[in-house]
Amino acid sequence: MSDEELLAYHAGALDAAARARVEARLAGDPEARARLADWAAQDAALTQAFGDPASEPVPERLSAVIAEARNTAAPSPAWTFGLSRIAAAVALLAVGAAGGWFAHGPAAPQPGTSLAQAATTAYRTYVTEVVHPVEVPASDAAHLTSWVSKRLGHPIHAPDFATLGFRLMGGRVLPGEPGTAAQFMYENDLGQRITLYVTQRAQGEDDTAFRFFDEGRESGFWWVDGPFGYALVGDISRDALRKIATAAYEQLI
Amino acid sequence: MPVLDEIEAEIPALRRYARALLRDADAADDLVQDCLERAVARRRDWRGEGPLRAWLFRILLNRLRDLQRRAPRPGHLVPVEDLYPEPGQPAAQEDHMALSEVRAAMARLPEDQRRALLLVALEGFSFDEAALALEIPKGTLMSRLARARETLREMTGRAGKTKGILR
Repeated sequence: MSDEELLAYHAGALDAAARARVEARLAGDPEARARLADWAAQDAALTQAFGDPASEPVPERLSAVIAEARNTAAPSPAWTFGLSRIAAAVALLAVGAAGGWFAHGPAAPQPGTSLAQAATTAYRTYVTEVVHPVEVPASDAAHLTSWVSKRLGHPIHAPDFATLGFRLMGGRVLPGEPGTAAQFMYENDLGQRITLYVTQRAQGEDDTAFRFFDEGRESGFWWVDGPFGYALVGDISRDALRKIATAAYEQLI
Repeated sequence: MPVLDEIEAEIPALRRYARALLRDADAADDLVQDCLERAVARRRDWRGEGPLRAWLFRILLNRLRDLQRRAPRPGHLVPVEDLYPEPGQPAAQEDHMALSEVRAAMARLPEDQRRALLLVALEGFSFDEAALALEIPKGTLMSRLARARETLREMTGRAGKTKGILR
């Protein structure tokens, strides 16, 4: 029997028919059987001898490389500019209405944080609503989908986070730049609410990876993909937010 | 999943592979850090050709070659006895190789065979993935694997032993 066949058999890389042929020949080939047994022992020994680092905590200096990339990859100026304007406009409203969370000033906006800020402001505005948290309830999902898709100019549906404990309450359309944004709101059994903010993306903007943001009580992840920029906002753990953001990303491709 | 998350998820595997190759935890983490910095900087160049981890491990291996070219280290020429103390007693069971025995044998393998075998046996790469990571044809990979496995058997004295038992 050739080494290649035996290696493929050992790796489980053969289809059923080829596997059956190898097994038939193995029955009469004790040398090949001994080699297979030794290879299995080699695999086990290698894992035992060298496997430890994979279960050790990742050193700070290595995770920092990824964290820095998340924080520093700047979106294109056009995108930042557009969102800075929304953030500024929203901030003016917020200063008047809520006493000015933005009052310490838009002096040095970090690149890309505008989307996060706009989403956070919308979160703070509507999540506290008891009577009208959403404009179109989830019970009217078909209408919600068609309405939001039409207003944002591309098909978009509210992702499903039921397996993560959050059910859709509904959504609304918000002013955005350029054009329109939408907010989907979700709630879990503990009454915690999260929102997914979706806004039209500026021309020429690159896709980005997830970026974490922290706006005080609220935090979340934002990213740019396809026709939209997204920001998931909530007052829950970073880990839970990351899981939900990942689920959103996968469903919105 | 965003590329950065995928890269982050591979860090434990990269560390394991680097340490198995270099046998020095600090040097291995230096190599992984170097690899991550390069991968992060070039992540927009990755166009989804093959699995991301094959691309990551290829970066790591290229980086290792660069480093070894620049500052040739004794590598596998270090006396094996200095690296791993001999066990106080022989392996208790026939079917289990002593850890020191397998480490010593791996240290004596030629570098290209060691890289191939660890990708497949330790990291669980498919042959296609491993060939991509090592930038060699699949046939070359297979013959390196076969030679590595046979050499290990001989070094650990099992090739002869099992034949003896079965005859």
